[in-house]
Amino acid sequence: MANGWSIFIGLAIILAMCTAAWVFAPKGENQVLWRSSLILAFVSCYLMWAITFLAQLHPLIEPRRSDIRKEFVHH
Amino acid sequence: MAPTKDTPFRSADMSMVQLYISNEIGREVVNALGELGLVQFRDLNGDLSAFQRAYTKDIRRLDNVERQLRYFHSQMDKAGIPLRKLDLDVETLAPPTTTEIDELAERCQGLEQRVSSLNESYETLKKREVELTEWRWVLREAGGFFDRAHGSVEEIRASIDNDDAPLLQDIEHNNGAADVERSFSGMNIGFVAGVIARDRVAAFERILWRTLRGNLYMNQAEIPEPLIDPSTNEPVAKNVFVIFAHGKEILAKIRKISESMGAEVYNVDENSDLRRDQVHEVNARLNDVQNVLRNTQQTLEAELTQISRALSAWVVLIGKEKAVYSTLNLFSYDGARRTLIAEGWCPKHDLPLIRSTLQDVTNRAGLSVPTIINEIRTNKKPPTYLKTNKFTEAFQTIVNAYGTATYQEVNPAIPVIVTFPFLFAVMFGDFGHAIIMLCASLAMIYWEKPLKKVTFELFAMVYYGRYIALVMAVFSVYTGLIYNDVFSKSMTLFSSQWEWDVPEGWTEGDTLVGKLKDPNYRYPFGLDWRWHGTENDLLFSNSYKMKMSIILGWAHMTYSLCFSYINARHFKKPIDIWGNFVPGMIFFQAIFGYLVVCIIYKWSVDWFAIGQQPPGLLNMLIYMFLQPGFIDIPLYSGQAAVQKFLLFFAVLQVPILLFLKPFYLRWEHNRARAKGYRGIGERSRVSALDEDDEGHGANGRPSGESDEGVGMIAQGVDHEDEEHEEFEFGEVMIHQVIHTIEFCLNCVSHTASYLRLWALSLAHQQLSAVLWSMTMGPALKNGKGIGGAIFLVVIFAAFFCLSCIILIIMEGVSAMLHSLRLAWVESFSKFAEFGGWPFAPFSFGTLLEENEELKEYLG
Repeated sequence: MANGWSIFIGLAIILAMCTAAWVFAPKGENQVLWRSSLILAFVSCYLMWAITFLAQLHPLIEPRRSDIRKEFVHH
Repeated sequence: MAPTKDTPFRSADMSMVQLYISNEIGREVVNALGELGLVQFRDLNGDLSAFQRAYTKDIRRLDNVERQLRYFHSQMDKAGIPLRKLDLDVETLAPPTTTEIDELAERCQGLEQRVSSLNESYETLKKREVELTEWRWVLREAGGFFDRAHGSVEEIRASIDNDDAPLLQDIEHNNGAADVERSFSGMNIGFVAGVIARDRVAAFERILWRTLRGNLYMNQAEIPEPLIDPSTNEPVAKNVFVIFAHGKEILAKIRKISESMGAEVYNVDENSDLRRDQVHEVNARLNDVQNVLRNTQQTLEAELTQISRALSAWVVLIGKEKAVYSTLNLFSYDGARRTLIAEGWCPKHDLPLIRSTLQDVTNRAGLSVPTIINEIRTNKKPPTYLKTNKFTEAFQTIVNAYGTATYQEVNPAIPVIVTFPFLFAVMFGDFGHAIIMLCASLAMIYWEKPLKKVTFELFAMVYYGRYIALVMAVFSVYTGLIYNDVFSKSMTLFSSQWEWDVPEGWTEGDTLVGKLKDPNYRYPFGLDWRWHGTENDLLFSNSYKMKMSIILGWAHMTYSLCFSYINARHFKKPIDIWGNFVPGMIFFQAIFGYLVVCIIYKWSVDWFAIGQQPPGLLNMLIYMFLQPGFIDIPLYSGQAAVQKFLLFFAVLQVPILLFLKPFYLRWEHNRARAKGYRGIGERSRVSALDEDDEGHGANGRPSGESDEGVGMIAQGVDHEDEEHEEFEFGEVMIHQVIHTIEFCLNCVSHTASYLRLWALSLAHQQLSAVLWSMTMGPALKNGKGIGGAIFLVVIFAAFFCLSCIILIIMEGVSAMLHSLRLAWVESFSKFAEFGGWPFAPFSFGTLLEENEELKEYLG
């Protein structure tokens, strides 16, 4: 369900959210504040998610541990 | 071009205005403008000293009233009467009229006299009371001495006659021989009785002993209750003493010494009957004095209580009034037209509001002469006025702590509102800690009003930043989820992308290696929880967090750099775009943009599937500079050519960055010169009159008869702070060289600086893991039975407190400081100039807020 394409799907969602933030930002002298803050916040959060996702997309190392108890091996 | 409203995006449009105020309503106008708080007046009397100004007299008078009010306050403190504080949120003070102020001044004068006379008489009475009390003690104690001493006259005489007798033999042992009633006077023995402070007794005794060579007999007793010293109002422990000696001269000497030692000498009669009368008399007088004293005190307290109800309001009124007169002192007075002329800065978009306020004042005063407000053109640099609201105030403050943005440049606080808390959260990412922080900040916002009154400084600081804390906490919740950390534990929100690859014959304790469950499934949100507690956990998370730091840093800096483009466009300086922004951007992207692309590209390639070795990006970047064209392990085909090109392209930007702007400016300057124009800054039009009155402008006082309707302005002052920018190629060149070197080096060092994001988030995570393993971990493992449960509760309390103190407060502060640095240094250096000066309007609001003295009167 979640594979490489998720990055682009996430991007599309974020773009939609940014557009919504741009359009629905409350009018008035603080409109620019709403727009810039919301969009910046969305983009920052997306960036962080995407980085985390990409880092695990094609992992070069596997998790390794030796203190697993029998009951949890297949958990 | 100009926007219709001021937005927080840049500082407000300012205009220099000139006000013509009829002399009669000058005070009212300034009062109204002070309530409004939108005009910053300029000093038009710079050549006059403070004493020569028109309203100094009034200020003096108000100073006196202020002193009287302070006197009342100190008296109230002394009497222990609480001050009724003024809550400006609830009560508003109507602007006072001049007569009201006069009345107040008179009333204060009267009250001061009354209070001080009451005080004086109270003090005299108090002194009298103390004296009488002391006398009573002396009579009582000395009487005791006499009664005992009469029995031992023989003994004393013996000691006088017999040189071998001990000088100060204790009388108590010898009172058996009391058979002869004999008078001291018969022995030619006189005495001095009095009271002395207990701590001086030893010195007193010694001095007496030395001066009189032991020719005295001293007796003393402690007064059990401490006596109040009327001058300091402090209790002093005292002793009664009686000194016997013989010879008039010696007695006179003793008196003198007593006085010089601060002892009070009282008259005590030797005869016991007379002494009894004395005691009665003293008691009667003491009673009288005490009665009067009580009455006086009551009157004084009633008076002060009366004052205490209104004192705060008076202090505020007088403070405002003084500010008004100080402002009026800045105005210049036109004697011929009986008008005051004021000049100052105000936000352009608030001009209508100011106009209507002035109109109101004129109407109320019933004056036919309107107050005129004129916008004047000037080439002085306007002040930076950044409007804030409850939310942006704290963000703006942390930006202003670094510097004041240049007039109309992009407000650096705009990106800071998100980037500062976000970068904080990257370092602070822990879901549990973030939730606690979120609750705290929400509580502060919910109880905003009651908490505002808390004066504890440390809390007030946190309270001031409550909205920053809120945004930081919200982002931290998000990053905590991404890092999948809650108090250093992980959450299994989604199914893991890993499963344990269990070989045949595996036993507990053998190493297990994970394998991907499904090639098409990846952990959808944040870090996979399977990594938690593994042996190579740090290996993975360090690489991930380091790369993330670089990418976020690159994004932050690129974003910041873009603002320099917006600034250059706003100030209509295309050369800043072509000479600074574009080459700078290319330089930065060719190196670090490329690095980011490589990081992302490397992540997106399945290296095992294509059977190649993944390259080390750090080595790649190092070889790109040291041996252009050499590829250690290839990332993609054609990499050598691309890297050579990018490096060449980046290096090519350096001379452009270095020379384009200075040479363009020189060319522009020379062209303008050739056409006969003068430089822009060479003749500065300081204020309205300069142009019209060049002829007699030199004396700084041109006549007010200018036909353009502009008044007279003092010019001499303004020239000093005005910089006339003469074009000097050398200076521009040096400036640009510095900028270039700084920019290029900073690209490298600032990118590296973002690695602090990784370092601090690693530290935070490890610290919270250590805390868990030292408290909750063992408690959960070993706790058994009821004892274990109690132990667990205690340990949990410790764990929670330590989490709050170390991990939230201490780590939070450290992450905040690092984030602050990233904003101030790494981000602001890319676009902000910080060459402005702050707009400080004349406002009663800020006056009351910032005045330390007034603070104690305001609730």
